[in-house]
Amino acid sequence: MGELAWLGRLNVGGLAGVLILAPVLTGLVVFLVRTKWSRKGIVTGTGWILSLGALALFGFGAVRRDTVSFMPPQIPGISWDAVVTGLDLLLIVGFVAIGFLLRRPIVAALAVLQAGLVLWVELSHSVRLEHPPLYVDWLAIIMVMIVSVIGSIVAVYGLPYMKEHEKHLGIPDTASKRPRFFLTILIFLGAMNGLVLSDNLLWLFFFWEVTTLCSFLLIRHDETADAEANAFRALWINMAGGVLFAGGLVVLSHAVGAVSIQRIVESRASVVTNPIALVGLGLLCVAGFTKAAQMPFHSWLLGAMVAPTPVSALLHSSTMVKAGVYLIARLAPAFHDTAMSDMIAVAGGFTFAAAALLAIGQTNAKKVLAYSTISNLGLIIACAGLNSPLSMAAAVMLIIFHAISKALLFMAAGVVEHGIWSRDIEDMQGLVSRMPLTTLTMVIGILSMLLPPFGVLIAKLAAIEASVRMPAALLLLVVGSTLTVMFWTKWTGRLLTADPSVVFPRIEHLHSMYFVPLLMLTIGALGFSLMVVPLLTQLIVPAVAQYYRSVQSDVTTLVQFDNVLGVPWALVFGVLALAVLWPLLYFRGPRTQRTGVYLCGEQVETAATTTFRTAAETAVPVTIRGHYFERAVGETVHARWMMTVSIAALVLMLGAAFLQR
Amino acid sequence: MNPIALGALTLVIAPILGGLLMGLDRRITARLQNRLGPPILQPFYDVGKLMGKQPVACNSFQGVAASLYLMTSVLALLMFVLGQDLLVLLFVLALGAVMLILGGFSVKSPYSQLGSQREVLQMLAYEPLLVLMVVGVYLQTGSFSANSVLALDRPLLLTMPIFLVTQTLVIGIKLHKSPFDVSASHHAHQELVRGIYTEFSGLQLALIELAHFYELVLLLGFVWFLWHTNWLVGAALALAAYFSTILMDNVTARMTWRWLVSFMWTWGIGLAVANLAAIYFMLRVPR
Repeated sequence: MGELAWLGRLNVGGLAGVLILAPVLTGLVVFLVRTKWSRKGIVTGTGWILSLGALALFGFGAVRRDTVSFMPPQIPGISWDAVVTGLDLLLIVGFVAIGFLLRRPIVAALAVLQAGLVLWVELSHSVRLEHPPLYVDWLAIIMVMIVSVIGSIVAVYGLPYMKEHEKHLGIPDTASKRPRFFLTILIFLGAMNGLVLSDNLLWLFFFWEVTTLCSFLLIRHDETADAEANAFRALWINMAGGVLFAGGLVVLSHAVGAVSIQRIVESRASVVTNPIALVGLGLLCVAGFTKAAQMPFHSWLLGAMVAPTPVSALLHSSTMVKAGVYLIARLAPAFHDTAMSDMIAVAGGFTFAAAALLAIGQTNAKKVLAYSTISNLGLIIACAGLNSPLSMAAAVMLIIFHAISKALLFMAAGVVEHGIWSRDIEDMQGLVSRMPLTTLTMVIGILSMLLPPFGVLIAKLAAIEASVRMPAALLLLVVGSTLTVMFWTKWTGRLLTADPSVVFPRIEHLHSMYFVPLLMLTIGALGFSLMVVPLLTQLIVPAVAQYYRSVQSDVTTLVQFDNVLGVPWALVFGVLALAVLWPLLYFRGPRTQRTGVYLCGEQVETAATTTFRTAAETAVPVTIRGHYFERAVGETVHARWMMTVSIAALVLMLGAAFLQR
Repeated sequence: MNPIALGALTLVIAPILGGLLMGLDRRITARLQNRLGPPILQPFYDVGKLMGKQPVACNSFQGVAASLYLMTSVLALLMFVLGQDLLVLLFVLALGAVMLILGGFSVKSPYSQLGSQREVLQMLAYEPLLVLMVVGVYLQTGSFSANSVLALDRPLLLTMPIFLVTQTLVIGIKLHKSPFDVSASHHAHQELVRGIYTEFSGLQLALIELAHFYELVLLLGFVWFLWHTNWLVGAALALAAYFSTILMDNVTARMTWRWLVSFMWTWGIGLAVANLAAIYFMLRVPR
């Protein structure tokens, strides 16, 4: 550690500046210098800068071993608070302009409402801004690593993807919209870094609204009628969330007299006995629900799938939706042990189970992935609502593992889409014979979402254990987990349904900027799962301990998780790897005879695909379809009651603020 | 006992016990149907015969599926015997179940596809009940570890009577007994053939059969848990549960998957939740 001590002396303000501003600046260069090579170099280079910056921040945290509140670099004559406020107002003016340009008055109205509320907070004298606006602890470092590393991987993957995308749409290179696309993506990454490093809620709000704007621009990227409509929906739902955020800020600033998250968490004792302050926190949490696409706000994320796949990969894994759960998890210690917290757990648990149910009925791969994201974010929010060190450890683990697996799955789905030009799971039947390599990464991605020995499952175990004290949440978690297994297994089944006539599938050629990101995330999904015990004890437990320290000093409840920590995961991995490898070696070659399927003796042996003889010796090829149970789990079947229940859960959650423990 | 010795002993004894129980099942079923039935050792003869066959496969994934199914069954039983985490154990078991399903899906065959589709639904039907039973254990011991049950000084059945019933239903589904044999059946059904197992043969099928031996012992072990204080009573409960599924198999007809899922998600989960609620109230589980 001695030679790394310099990391602890890093100027963390400058480092934060790089993490936030570097992508914005390089994005502008990409936008202005419109050549293919500069774009490739700069986007990849920005990925390296962000990743190294995140690594440096990690080193800083590892050496300091403590949380740090800090100021951005001091520049004489510049007040950063004023700059952020100014930019915030500029952003809101931008929203008003968008509202007028799109002829959507609601956007302008929401923007004006936000401006009013933010100015109210700024101008009220109860708020003292002497607290440094930025803050870094393990949770923030973990988030920065996710945003910077996974976000960059997705951005690099976007380079070849957007090229093929425009080629497919017939857009000439001269009219390419890629410069704007990558500018938005890079600003998005910078804003996310800013969001997770902000301690001042006004700053956080600014970055929050930047991500709303970026996601709007990215969803709208193709400018089709469909894209416009869905981008508008994402915009107004998230802006409505922004209004709730700003409203919560007004309430909090008056009830607590602070807009610093740390100050609010530190004054938990007075917060939990003050219903008004709790309502303020509750409004912020509802804002988190909108951004995390929880029911009843989930429709925007489903609509967002019209965007090019790199956008989906970004929105679903490391940015946007993760901002929502991050905010709730970040605030959770402030409302620890309240009825409101319990209701958040129930509301999150409900979305977890309900979205998993709806995923069963979908044939569109991206829609299944979207429902799965909604569902998993519900689980993370349920963990935050359960609000114990163990559940929070589960939440942080889920944030990490879900980001890796979901980015991998979306990127694989994008490669498949450019291979077969379809997003339909039915069209992916037998993909293993056509694109074996991509299918392999996809299957690993899917299995890593639901089975041992992968990280998501281990987090789920912790979540179930933490929920035992709350029967309602427990039941929702158990039901949701079972439904989750169902839709993933069905999908994997389609991918693997191979025609026996294809004995040795030809391995497809992948662009290196497809292959390397897929490989990195596959290794990530496997490697982090393998190292789950050190990850948990060295990183996640300290993170949880740090941000619960004002609530309870000991994290002994985590020790109960020893049952899982005691399982020798490396051994389990080894045994399972052996079980996978020996049959591949044994059932190979001349020893194993290849055969067609059983068709009651009516098989046409000479046919190229599986075919049988029916009446009058007609040869009929076998067709296989998946089951989607539309009548039982179709979206429209359940839409109404699910909306009602989820709205009721949110109303009850806010109402629960008035219940005293 | 030394854990390694215990593990090794389990590896040897469990398949013998499981095979014998299955042989007994075939004998009893035959007698109930007015047939003589095969020798008790028939399941072992079957496995031996299958192992001697020339390997035939439709694709290379089938072998992986069968091998993982066996491996997870063994692993789960070992975890059970060695007092490990029951929740982890259930998910290890689920890994095997999913792999078997994928093995069935991996072949473009109408029968195995149908079987796999329905096996997914069977899993949907029994999985929550297994997890809820383990949660019932946790509520009383404060831990998911199997060892914590042994440390308890009273039989679990006194507080979890309904789980004897649900566990019997789960065994019925897992063993594909009527009326729950929707994905594969022991009786001849034209539209199913052998359902999910149709396209497995030779050594692969032998591995699956072997896995069934281990799994049966594990499932009965869960019933035995309900009266761990006296192992004879526990064993009697396990046998009673097993023989009631055999009886059920012979006196009922196969039902549809729709019925299966709705029955288990209403009656099954409903009763299990009622039992859990009673435990919450009785024990005043601390928040």
